[in-house]
Amino acid sequence: MKRYFFQRLLLLLPTLLGALTLVFFLIHLVPGDPVEVMLGETASAADKEELRRSLGLDRPLLAQYRSFLTGLLTVDLGRSLSERASVSALIRARFPATFQLTFCAMAVALLLSFSLAAMAARHRASWIDRAALLFSLFGLSLPNFWLGPMLMIVFAIQLGWTPVSGRGGLGHLVLPSLTLGLGMAAILTRILRAGLLQAIREDYVRTARAKGLSESRVWLKHTLRNALLPVITIVSLQFGSLLAGSIITETVFSWPGIGRLTVQAIQARDYPLVQGCVLVIATTYLLVNFLTDIFYRLADPRIHYGK
Amino acid sequence: MESKRGLHAGILILLLLASSALFAPALAPHDPTRQNLGQDLLTSTQGHPLGTDKLGRDILSRTIYGSRVSLLVGVATVALSLSIGFALGALAGYFGGWLDQLLMRLVDVLLAFPGILLAIAFTAVLGPGLDHVILALCLIGWTGYARLVRGEILALREREFVHAARALGCAPGRVILCHLLPNLLPPLVIQATFGLAAAIVAEGSLSFLGLGVEPPTPSWGSMLNEGRQFLLVAPHLTTYPGLAIMITVIALNLIGDALQDRLNSGR
Amino acid sequence: MPRVIVGLIFSPGLRSFNRHGIIYLFIAVFFLLAGCRFSPAPEPRSNYLVVGIESNPLQLDPRYSTDANGVRIGGLIYNSLLRADERMRLQPELAERWTAPDAQTYLFDLRRDAKFHDGKPLTAEDVRYTYESILDPKSRSPKRGMLKPLDGIDVLGPYRVRFRLSAPHAPFLEQFTIGIVPVGSPGAETNAMPPPGSGPFMLESVNSGEKVTLKANPVYWEGKPSLTGLVFKVVPDALVRVLEFKKGAIGFMQNDIEPDVLPWLERNTQASVAAHQGTTFQYIGINLTHPILRQRKVRQALALAIDRDSIIRYVLKDSVTPASGLLSPLNWAFDESVPQWPYDPQKAKRLLDEVGYPDPDGDGPRPRFRVSFKTTNIDLRRRIAEAFKEQLARVGVELEIRSYEWGTFYNDVKKGNFHLFSLAWVGVADPDIYFQLFHSDSVPPIGDNRGHYRNPEIDRLLEAGRAAVDPAQRKIIYGRVQKLLAEDLPYIPLWWWKNVVVQAPHVRGFVPYPDGEFISFKKVSLSP
Repeated sequence: MKRYFFQRLLLLLPTLLGALTLVFFLIHLVPGDPVEVMLGETASAADKEELRRSLGLDRPLLAQYRSFLTGLLTVDLGRSLSERASVSALIRARFPATFQLTFCAMAVALLLSFSLAAMAARHRASWIDRAALLFSLFGLSLPNFWLGPMLMIVFAIQLGWTPVSGRGGLGHLVLPSLTLGLGMAAILTRILRAGLLQAIREDYVRTARAKGLSESRVWLKHTLRNALLPVITIVSLQFGSLLAGSIITETVFSWPGIGRLTVQAIQARDYPLVQGCVLVIATTYLLVNFLTDIFYRLADPRIHYGK
Repeated sequence: MESKRGLHAGILILLLLASSALFAPALAPHDPTRQNLGQDLLTSTQGHPLGTDKLGRDILSRTIYGSRVSLLVGVATVALSLSIGFALGALAGYFGGWLDQLLMRLVDVLLAFPGILLAIAFTAVLGPGLDHVILALCLIGWTGYARLVRGEILALREREFVHAARALGCAPGRVILCHLLPNLLPPLVIQATFGLAAAIVAEGSLSFLGLGVEPPTPSWGSMLNEGRQFLLVAPHLTTYPGLAIMITVIALNLIGDALQDRLNSGR
Repeated sequence: MPRVIVGLIFSPGLRSFNRHGIIYLFIAVFFLLAGCRFSPAPEPRSNYLVVGIESNPLQLDPRYSTDANGVRIGGLIYNSLLRADERMRLQPELAERWTAPDAQTYLFDLRRDAKFHDGKPLTAEDVRYTYESILDPKSRSPKRGMLKPLDGIDVLGPYRVRFRLSAPHAPFLEQFTIGIVPVGSPGAETNAMPPPGSGPFMLESVNSGEKVTLKANPVYWEGKPSLTGLVFKVVPDALVRVLEFKKGAIGFMQNDIEPDVLPWLERNTQASVAAHQGTTFQYIGINLTHPILRQRKVRQALALAIDRDSIIRYVLKDSVTPASGLLSPLNWAFDESVPQWPYDPQKAKRLLDEVGYPDPDGDGPRPRFRVSFKTTNIDLRRRIAEAFKEQLARVGVELEIRSYEWGTFYNDVKKGNFHLFSLAWVGVADPDIYFQLFHSDSVPPIGDNRGHYRNPEIDRLLEAGRAAVDPAQRKIIYGRVQKLLAEDLPYIPLWWWKNVVVQAPHVRGFVPYPDGEFISFKKVSLSP
């Protein structure tokens, strides 16, 4: 197990390097010049040249790539070109907000999907089942940029239960987590429902019933547990799309997270900042998947891992 | 029984949508791009059953024409992603080894990369437009199919009929297309129906980021985005394209679910 | 709190789970995660005004700030030698007196009661330091280019400073509005908070991407502001800003609101909504190297074919005023005799016929010619582009709309990679900006003559306007420039944006500034 653990951990590195290489060349290929954005309308050509030189932007792309990699090794992400701060300081300020939102969205998705799937599976083919299915489809078909304001109008303005947007106490988290989590809840509900229905048909559940275990115990101990494993994989895969999907939710809900920072950085062609943001997003995604994988293997003894 | 009804309903809805896209010029009461600046944000009136948008264009006509763009984006995205994903996934699964490693690392990289960022960068280089929207969605979209195909082929590779085909001297391409593809088809079709729905919604998200189809071409996503700022004063601008997306997504999912049920009970 | 979720948990289908506590576990996890940052909801602090802004201010240090919100918020923290008043006239601020002994020397006597927020008095050394640190090549300040005419700064006493220019340069006066920072303030290469200023408000905190909080300077030399403080809350989405206002979480906002929503605000909240003449100038830029667009009559036809009045009435809901040119009526050099182009599609068609672009099929679909129109991908900009497309189609010109994300768009515009594009000039003050825009020496990469306009007479006038010092004489020169450009149309003038101010009823005393400055917050009070 230990060996497998380290093997997997090592495998993360080439993937991360791939993502960083991709972002480096991508952002340098995109038309636009950070120096133009920094120096504005009145700077002379000589000043721009000078700044380009001092930022090292006049060097060949491969040389810049090399020093970007060297910077990574020394854990130096550089300075933002558009804001008065280092990249790491900006990311430190913004990342917790995104992480918090993503996790709460996940929690909402899990809560909703477990409730709905359990209801649907227990009352199969009844109106409850159909309602749960329909609800999950609503979640899939509403783009966040539309769902967000609708939720605001209903819950923040008409009912007055929550704040409209921004980050603050727990109340501020409700609507953005709901917006971000609903799509994932839809996907999870269907997988869980299918898993539950399949598990009910399995022999060990029949045996458990025959043994005279209470219905709820059968559900909880045997059915749910077996439906859980595929969910874990989906959750960890979806984590990435949540992280990225939060760009829109963050914009709509004035959430000071890293998604908005990334968009702002792209607009200013702030190369170091874009690279830093991608580094953090990709690392988080890979780590979450790595941990899931390890957990999965610990939880399911049927899977064997090397010797 | 239940799922059969769902399948039929889903297919019926989809057929209706497809024919409305096909016969848009005959169905739409107005030119979808024809403006009438004084007649803006009207609710249902004579001649405009669903009202008009900010530039006085007929919402019904735009929604009908929008189905063309939205369905096209969905179908083209899925077709392209599926082809790429199938080809690469099959190569990786069938041959294994370093090729498999390389392709799967590439999939990992793309999955770890924030997809929206990729789309923004992509359209920043190429500019917006229908074809670029489709390409941007495929950029990430193919990875899911590739993983699916690879996994299934890994499982099928050691089955008897594959061994038999190989022993008879079939070329790898032939084995993949003639022997493996039929087995792969059901899960792929199911994933494709879900993918189609996802692509139609994703086109809307790209519109919100300013990366959608170029105006004045109507698509449901861009209509939803254009109408969004008027949510307080003219909610009907978003209601109809939103409903259209919802109906399409529901129809596609009904079909996908029904096929999934059939597949599960068949296995 | 999340009643929705709790409601779902206790729904009938799940009753059997309750005993096992799995739900409670979920709730516990939810709260645990949600509490990553357990700072309680910031309760609205009394006597603070919350201002909704669209984007994060990037730089507050006046030596670096060029983004609109950075400049506007910085203007409350820092004082400058001179400052434009609400009618765009430069008035002394830190200067008690100032004179120009000759055409290239400016002498300032500073007020003695101005103190930085850290308690140190503001002296002539600080003024010199501020300007010299901008001029330092290592500073990377975007304002360095504008200080090029400066030859030297002499400190003549603790409160007396002299600026020497290398040649007479009337527009240099504009550079005395740069905020003053204390001697030794670090440049851009630091993570430190921006340096202290001497203005009516001081920086309390900056939450990146979230808000900037200022508090009143209790010893401000003009007197302590009535507000205890100001919160600039970043709310990127215009619709959400309106909802925040309705909710009462924002008490003030300016501009970037969908024009159609303003009447809704007036009906559904107690907001007072007012629009004031502004200086931001929207135009269509033209590439004069394009074989068709280089012909003046074609440009005039385009100007005649655009129905600005309809767009202004229906799309923009009178949030702009039609423009005759770059300088707004608030500018001292504005010439009111310059005519505007009326909407006259028949004349436009005639002009196009004259120069040899007949419509191949009359009202049919085939165009006379096709040109691309670049714009940013902001909703309202795109909508206006769509209206232009329709209007130009009526005279047989096909416009191909290409909307880009800002970085790409700006890059194309700077490089001259366009046929037509639309953009705005913000903060136009001294008419010398014409030099940067239309002098034939100002072709990129040196200046902003992006359409490659060349006109010897304009060149001559712009050189004369720059060297002349007498305002009356300059006014005559620039009046001529305005008339020539209105005929020649290197830009098609569209409109000047008004400053739309939405404020809660308890906000008293805000005075709008033409370029959207926030400086009058120093006099604003909140009635109970």
